[in-house]
Amino acid sequence: MRFLVPAALGLAALAGPLVVLYMLRSKRRPEQVPSTMLWREIGEPVSSAVPWRPLKLTWLLILQLLILALFVLSLARPFVAEATVLGPHTVFVIDTSGSMAMAGRFEQARAAALDLAEDVSEANLASVVEAGPHPTVRVAFSADPEAVAEAIRSLRPGGGAEDLSTALRLARGLAAPDRETTVVIFSDGGPASLPEEPVVGASHMVFDDHASNLAISGFDAEPSTEGTIRVFVQVENHGADTRTIEVAIDIDGLPTGSTEMTVEGLSAAQEVVPVPAGPGSVVTARLVEANDALPLDDRADLVVGGGADRRVAVVGAGSPFLTALLESTPGVSIGDPDVADMLIVDGGPLPEIDRPTWLIRPETAPDGMDLVGLERNLAVTFSRPGDPVLDGVDLSDTVIAEAQRIETLTWLPLVSSGDTPLILLGEVNGHRVVYTTFDLTHSNLVVQVAFPILGANLLQWLGGGEAVSVSTEPAGTPIGLLTPVGHRARITLPSGDVQEVAPDAATFNATDEPGVYVIEYIDETGSVASSEVAVRRFVPSESSGPSREIAVAPAPGESADEGFLIREWSPWIVAAALALMALEWWVGHQRPGFRRREVTA
Amino acid sequence: MLLEPRLRAQLERLALGVRGRVTAQWAGRHSSTRLGESLDFADYRPYQPGDDYRRIDHNLRARLGIVMVRQFEAEQELPLDIVVDLSASMEMHGKEHSARALAAMIAYMGLASGDRVRLWAIPGDGSRTEAQGPAGRHLSAWPLLEDWLESRPTGGPGTLRSLGRRLASTGGAVVLVTDLLVEEWREVLDGLAPTAGGLVLHVLAREELYPPMAGDLDLVDSETGAKLAVSMSEDALRGYQKAVEDFALEASRRSRRAGLDYLLVEAGQGAAERTLEGLARREVVR
Repeated sequence: MRFLVPAALGLAALAGPLVVLYMLRSKRRPEQVPSTMLWREIGEPVSSAVPWRPLKLTWLLILQLLILALFVLSLARPFVAEATVLGPHTVFVIDTSGSMAMAGRFEQARAAALDLAEDVSEANLASVVEAGPHPTVRVAFSADPEAVAEAIRSLRPGGGAEDLSTALRLARGLAAPDRETTVVIFSDGGPASLPEEPVVGASHMVFDDHASNLAISGFDAEPSTEGTIRVFVQVENHGADTRTIEVAIDIDGLPTGSTEMTVEGLSAAQEVVPVPAGPGSVVTARLVEANDALPLDDRADLVVGGGADRRVAVVGAGSPFLTALLESTPGVSIGDPDVADMLIVDGGPLPEIDRPTWLIRPETAPDGMDLVGLERNLAVTFSRPGDPVLDGVDLSDTVIAEAQRIETLTWLPLVSSGDTPLILLGEVNGHRVVYTTFDLTHSNLVVQVAFPILGANLLQWLGGGEAVSVSTEPAGTPIGLLTPVGHRARITLPSGDVQEVAPDAATFNATDEPGVYVIEYIDETGSVASSEVAVRRFVPSESSGPSREIAVAPAPGESADEGFLIREWSPWIVAAALALMALEWWVGHQRPGFRRREVTA
Repeated sequence: MLLEPRLRAQLERLALGVRGRVTAQWAGRHSSTRLGESLDFADYRPYQPGDDYRRIDHNLRARLGIVMVRQFEAEQELPLDIVVDLSASMEMHGKEHSARALAAMIAYMGLASGDRVRLWAIPGDGSRTEAQGPAGRHLSAWPLLEDWLESRPTGGPGTLRSLGRRLASTGGAVVLVTDLLVEEWREVLDGLAPTAGGLVLHVLAREELYPPMAGDLDLVDSETGAKLAVSMSEDALRGYQKAVEDFALEASRRSRRAGLDYLLVEAGQGAAERTLEGLARREVVR
């Protein structure tokens, strides 16, 4: 036991005067009694000429010495130092990504954080950073354990991917010059990229409980040949066992049908289901009785869109597959190259890029790209994760007979086979350009389910056509707001909660929850002037529940277990002293041991 | 009013029990030390000239040939002397009020049963150690006795020595209503020998039995003014209580040896009722 104010122990010297008071005789007070006859018979020396008397140890003296000792002890503020991860200032970085919703990871992390928050005090300040898609500081430099606990309790896992790098930057930004700052990361590690080097001055509490999980990893809509809508559903099985699952389809919340899918372990299955949905309909796919570890990814939504047709012209060889693609893509019509809004150049010489263009293995490469040769017999080995163009697209079975070998620094490889890019995204003369290094007819892509989805997504990206479904972004992606002057925006969340947005806000960021967001613009009279919808989906990479241990290292000049918690005893000691004071009062006034014996008749 | 009407009505049905025979002038209902005219046969004695012929036992004369005269018990009134202590020590803690009420209770009971009641008080007027109060044989004398008891002043040093000697061999009964806080209390009790017994009502206040005192004190004797330094420690208080118990036990023992009943009475509200109940339980009153 150590003391914060050891000098206060000097007050123990007050015990001396207290003892002296017990040895001094007080001035006698006259008291008239009927007779002193009986008092003379008590046989005890009751008076003395000297002003002091021998010290007689009484219960009162013992209690008063104890009370004095306890008060002196409490003023000296004794404490014990307990080892803890808490430092003078601790930043709780709590992962709220979708993978944390798996198998009680988040509940465990929250419980651990709340446990630590109980020790927050003036000597151990705490801050809380939510590490979701948009890391935010929930509480900063708080000495109030309840405020910290409340901030922790308010956190919920969403459907997005964590941005631990930004969260750690935020945590570092909270470092105070006069207090050593420690970062405690409550996370499963997740798939997010972090610097290779260890995070200095941090500790990582890993929550990696895992269980079998089924996820809707792809959900999109396309027009059918009959002019209706078909939805594409991809279910991914992250468990080892084959699962058969019923996928229910709802339109505007009403069940309209279902399909049964069998998904082998650690693989995916796709299904296309026609639905009687029209523009503006909300289509929902649900896994019925999935009984898996992550319920958040058992549901996906889309909103059927619509809009003016865009004219697309095919230049070059062309193919029936391209024609079928353009005919089946809603919002797109085949037009004359001179007036087309977008070009598809299928082989041949490279034309002048004056509009959005999809280049399919042209003879020469555009700016920023060098053709260095040809590659044969290729399979897709890389698809850029999380890119909306590849949303719902499975290219794992795609093989290519021959492709150009490209070297570029400025184009973005979307799909590759080893070092050989197969599909690239770029910009030429201020126009978006898709570059495909292989002839579509020299691959099996055109006969796969993924082709119309990939084609529709590419056309959407190019801006050459309005997709059938409203753009679906990963959870956490902000919703852009175009609030007219004098209006305000009101957002209805997937949970049904309604949030008002400040009139000057350009984005709405609280989009961690997967589902449909309804944005309404309210005019001055309180009427809804216009409205739109946005859809946020569970990030598929979170469904597998990836976990890993983040490399951490102690801050320079300290060991990893240097943190300690000062636990003071003073409150307990004061409470004991007060209890003893009550006992002392009782002893002083009730005189235990002097029991009255009734002597009257 | 010293006695409540309800208590007086109760007292009219009771009488003080007497242990021995009385010696008095007037006929009454208590057995006398003399022989007299009652119906209770006492003894024979030889006939002497002048004896009443009607008392000759003719059956005895016919059977034995001797002339014997029958003698009978005499019944006389009970002389009841009631001493109430109104000294300064009784003045504290309301003891004197209880003492007046107790004396009044005994006096009323005596008057109601035809006893010759005589009141005494200590201290007396001026330098006298005792004051003799009025006497009476019937309830008609009660207002006089009550008035005297109520009006008797309190205070001054009290002594029982003189009155004790005076009442030592009375032919009746003696009732002492006192706290016995006088140095000579032992010799007074030892010296009393009333032929008809009596009663000691030992009146002490609760503050004397369980003194609520603490700290270092100079105790001042209310009668003598003498001081005694006492530190009110637990031991001192315990010792005092032991002294009180011993005091009461010894007073009880000495009273009984003198032929007196003894009752320790705690002064205060209802002392007369409590005392009457205690006396009835001991069959001192019937």
